[in-house]
Amino acid sequence: MLTTTSTTLVNPCDERALSATAAPRLPTLAGKTVALLDISKAGGSVFFDRLERILVEKYAAARVVRAMKPTFAKPAPEAMLEQLRSVDAMIEALAD
Amino acid sequence: MLEAGQMAPDIGLAQTTAEPRLLVFLETDCPTCWLSVSYLNKLAKQAASVVGISQDSEELTRRFVEQAPIEFPVEVDHELRISCAYDPVAVPAFFLIGADGRVIRSHIGFDKDELNAIAAEMGRQPVADSYDGAPQSKPGCSSRHLEPATEDASAEALTLHAARGTRASRVTISEDAYEYSMRAFGDALPVVPPTVERVERMMGALDPTEIIGRIPPCYGEATVEKIAANAVMAGCVPAMMRVLIPLVRAVCDERFNAHGVQATTHFAAPLIIVNGPVRNELGFAYRKNVFSNIARANSSLGRALQLMLLNLGGGRPDGIDMSALGNPGKFSYCIAENEEENPWEPLHVELGFKPSDSTVTLFAGEAPHGVSEHMSRTAKGVLKAISRALATVWSYRTCMSVEALVVLCPEHVKTIHRDGFSKNDAREFLFQNTGIPVREYDEEGEGKAHVHLYRQITIGGELCYQKFRAPESIKIVVAGGTAGKFSAVIGSWSAGPRGSQMVTYPC
Repeated sequence: MLTTTSTTLVNPCDERALSATAAPRLPTLAGKTVALLDISKAGGSVFFDRLERILVEKYAAARVVRAMKPTFAKPAPEAMLEQLRSVDAMIEALAD
Repeated sequence: MLEAGQMAPDIGLAQTTAEPRLLVFLETDCPTCWLSVSYLNKLAKQAASVVGISQDSEELTRRFVEQAPIEFPVEVDHELRISCAYDPVAVPAFFLIGADGRVIRSHIGFDKDELNAIAAEMGRQPVADSYDGAPQSKPGCSSRHLEPATEDASAEALTLHAARGTRASRVTISEDAYEYSMRAFGDALPVVPPTVERVERMMGALDPTEIIGRIPPCYGEATVEKIAANAVMAGCVPAMMRVLIPLVRAVCDERFNAHGVQATTHFAAPLIIVNGPVRNELGFAYRKNVFSNIARANSSLGRALQLMLLNLGGGRPDGIDMSALGNPGKFSYCIAENEEENPWEPLHVELGFKPSDSTVTLFAGEAPHGVSEHMSRTAKGVLKAISRALATVWSYRTCMSVEALVVLCPEHVKTIHRDGFSKNDAREFLFQNTGIPVREYDEEGEGKAHVHLYRQITIGGELCYQKFRAPESIKIVVAGGTAGKFSAVIGSWSAGPRGSQMVTYPC
């Protein structure tokens, strides 16, 4: 059994309190503009084509805006997010 | 926007001075403006006349000045009148005004060459070092006076580029420090408790609050003190701080893209390659067992990087790090080059450093794949064996999108060199002789979808797709013991500007 004297340690971790608040949820998708952000993996278009049809046919979305990141390996460029700022909702997804 | 040669408007700060004066338009929530501050501080410290013009409110400007911190005078541009007069299209915007009141040069956005050119024009020393971890250039944000008027409040100012952080908190415990540290700060292996005394010894005279970088993907601040605490846990000696600081800069370099490397489902782990005199000064191993448990320097430096990636970067294996199979290198992955047994120029010299420089290089790699070749007595024979292993990198039929590191053992490199091959000859031979036969692409699967992008070549009379985009996609180092004909090939993660690029920093 080791003795347990008091020891002071230097915290080696990131100490920022990271928190994020979810955006307000839309009561309905009807009449809304929805952005589909494809992270650009190989099967994304197949998945998003289907999703786009569902959003329009089943949920009556007014418009679906499609965008694709230049690479899935990095965060989306600021300018791309800026362009998508006016939409009502966004879905970021991938299919591989 | 005012251009060189035009008279600066007779407004606010443009009164003539004996020396050129630099006016810099800044926004408090523009990351590129934040990035520029430390370089402008360096200019101001050399007694150059630098004046910031904030396009935001008194309150936001006060916080910006305090947090960055900004060490030159900043004026608030009320109603953006000065901005309208100079009309920069984006910020940060730099206007160097001569003693005669004319604009000597103007520039928008962050650019290290431009900052150094401004410093030279002002008769001062360069302020931007290529190897400080910041990108060479970065576009800014649109100038406030060109934004449509809105009632919306500005977003919270970002603090992603402040040069100084805060001291780490202290944790006082009464349980066994070893058990506590492993549970609270470690990965799956025990760590040395980062006691105050040990961390102080590790830091020496360095400023504990200096922020060396922000480690992706969560961008935790790597202050000198946090780096030292993780280095203690990994078992580093204090002298290792001279390598750890440039290593943190390298891992935060946007070209390396630790954001992706740390979050991918792929096998990649950052491999550290150490070159130059620091190898012998700090006891890095570069002969036998170079990839394994041979030297405290290799093992503790690799482990310190991994602990920082977890504790500061947030890429934890039970969280954001999504690797399907992982990589044993995520405990520690650090080699040094065997320059003594290398008949060619070592990696850092090939990259433009002097032999007397020391460097750390990061390569996002898979685990080493062995190439045992005992029968070949010629350069071509050895290189052909290696090319067959290179063909399997990422996936046998995938071409053009990946790179590879070839680690030549001393016996193999001796054979290759004896036949008169330079390092470039060897690289070129591997490039021209690594391919996948076209007949292999007769069904669906990895690589099939992109054959229209591939190049066809003939290797040994067989029509093939060439594996690599360019000879430079094949990196070569020499390492390992003098006995044994065993080299290794290490596949990259997604390579190039859209993935991870190898980075080298002096230390």
